[in-house]
Amino acid sequence: MSKKFAYYPGCSSEASAVHLDKSTRAVFKTLDLELQDIEDWNCCGASVGHLAGGNTANSALSARTMALAQAQDAGDIATPCAACYLNTHEVNEHIREDAEFKGEMNEALGAAGQSYDGELLVRHTCEILVNEAGYDAIKEKVTKPLEGLKVAGYVGCQTVRPFASTERGGKYAEYDDPDFLDRFSELCGAEAIDFKHRTACCGGSVAVMSPDRTLHLMKDILQEAQEKGADVISTPCPLCLQNVEMYQAQINAKFGTDFNIPVVFHTQLMAVAMGLSDEEAGLKNHMIPADVVKEKAK
Amino acid sequence: MNAPTPTRKYDLGFARWVRDNIDHAERMNMCMQCGVCSGSCPLRNEMDNGPRKTFMMVRAGMKEEVLKSSTLWNCVSCYSCVVRCPREVPVKYILHGLLTYAIEQGYQEAQDTDNYKFASAFWNVAAGSGRVDERVFTAKFYLKYGIGGLISKGMANQKIAMGMIKSGRMPLFAAPHKIKGKGDLKKILAKAAEIEKTKHASLRDGER
Repeated sequence: MSKKFAYYPGCSSEASAVHLDKSTRAVFKTLDLELQDIEDWNCCGASVGHLAGGNTANSALSARTMALAQAQDAGDIATPCAACYLNTHEVNEHIREDAEFKGEMNEALGAAGQSYDGELLVRHTCEILVNEAGYDAIKEKVTKPLEGLKVAGYVGCQTVRPFASTERGGKYAEYDDPDFLDRFSELCGAEAIDFKHRTACCGGSVAVMSPDRTLHLMKDILQEAQEKGADVISTPCPLCLQNVEMYQAQINAKFGTDFNIPVVFHTQLMAVAMGLSDEEAGLKNHMIPADVVKEKAK
Repeated sequence: MNAPTPTRKYDLGFARWVRDNIDHAERMNMCMQCGVCSGSCPLRNEMDNGPRKTFMMVRAGMKEEVLKSSTLWNCVSCYSCVVRCPREVPVKYILHGLLTYAIEQGYQEAQDTDNYKFASAFWNVAAGSGRVDERVFTAKFYLKYGIGGLISKGMANQKIAMGMIKSGRMPLFAAPHKIKGKGDLKKILAKAAEIEKTKHASLRDGER
């Protein structure tokens, strides 16, 4: 029997990271992991909501999504988005550890006749791939290995920090030197380069609001990938992909570089290596074409 | 060498107030000024003081300087300081708590930041629609800089927008994304804001 999760795709799944959503759904299906969408999920507040809405209201965003998931009885929550994961996991743990906060959240939810008791676990899809599917099962499904594809595995921040090595976070990765992303690439038959910037910050939402403060961070990340001959950068984070892909032209203009490196999601590499369709892999959703991934698939 | 002459009298009132009023700041007492936070910070060079010094300034009672500090709005939420602090001080949370307070208290330096414009546009869409439609949000964010800002920022990012449209990541004609339970969400958030206001009012009574 397949394992079932309450799926929380997050706002970016409807626009800038449609290809993360498509490929996650396709890969999970292939691995016999069932994702049942949380009906009417809402935004988690990302990394800025609390600055304008306050901590309590911002936390209530996550509380509503968890209340809906629990009412749906679809199992623990699974999300592929770094920010959704961080916020929702954090609010959930806070509810479990702090009775006063739990009371506040339920008082707020009660205004709409809802409640949540903290009994779910909020899980990142990368952690589920490692701990529930397992590396061996992923490898078994690979039918078209990406031979010779050099991949810079770029984990970023919030996927792993601050929860990846906690008990409830699944203990699947180190904060500074996680290896799961490189292992994903290797299972797909690709070559993972030794990428020192794997957990460097792209600037996150500050990169979106004021690129001038953060372009140098993305330049360093791209530079190492280029110097080490990476064909693509692979990341699990919607915002990392967005920033590192969309700003390459501005970085080139500012620093005189010539970056034109495709940025893909780890699940896209898996989808191609598992022989899934271009549509399922979301290969058409790139500003910098990532055709090289398909060309290498044998 | 002569011993340094202290020019400032330490005022512990602000530190105590921060500890009691800023969420998660109760662990700030544990800070031993080791500097791992500042050393781990990717935007340390954009900040005037950095987290370590900011914490010392809180202890020294330098309220004005702290609440006007660019350290607060250059935090990129990478959580390196949070996971590396040997004393488990949740540095990022405290910096954001101080920033929220500075905004709330009307400090112009904090209110004029891209961060606040971005956050208020984001919150407006998240709370109003339940989902952040990147098209709606981007327009609202740019409008925070006025019509001129909308046009100039729109022009500057034209190529990115075109790329997003061509790659199928910015649906041109779809209706703005929103949830069905907008009314429910509104009630929940109003209640939550009320809870926070009541809590802060009682805690912040001791202030000033």
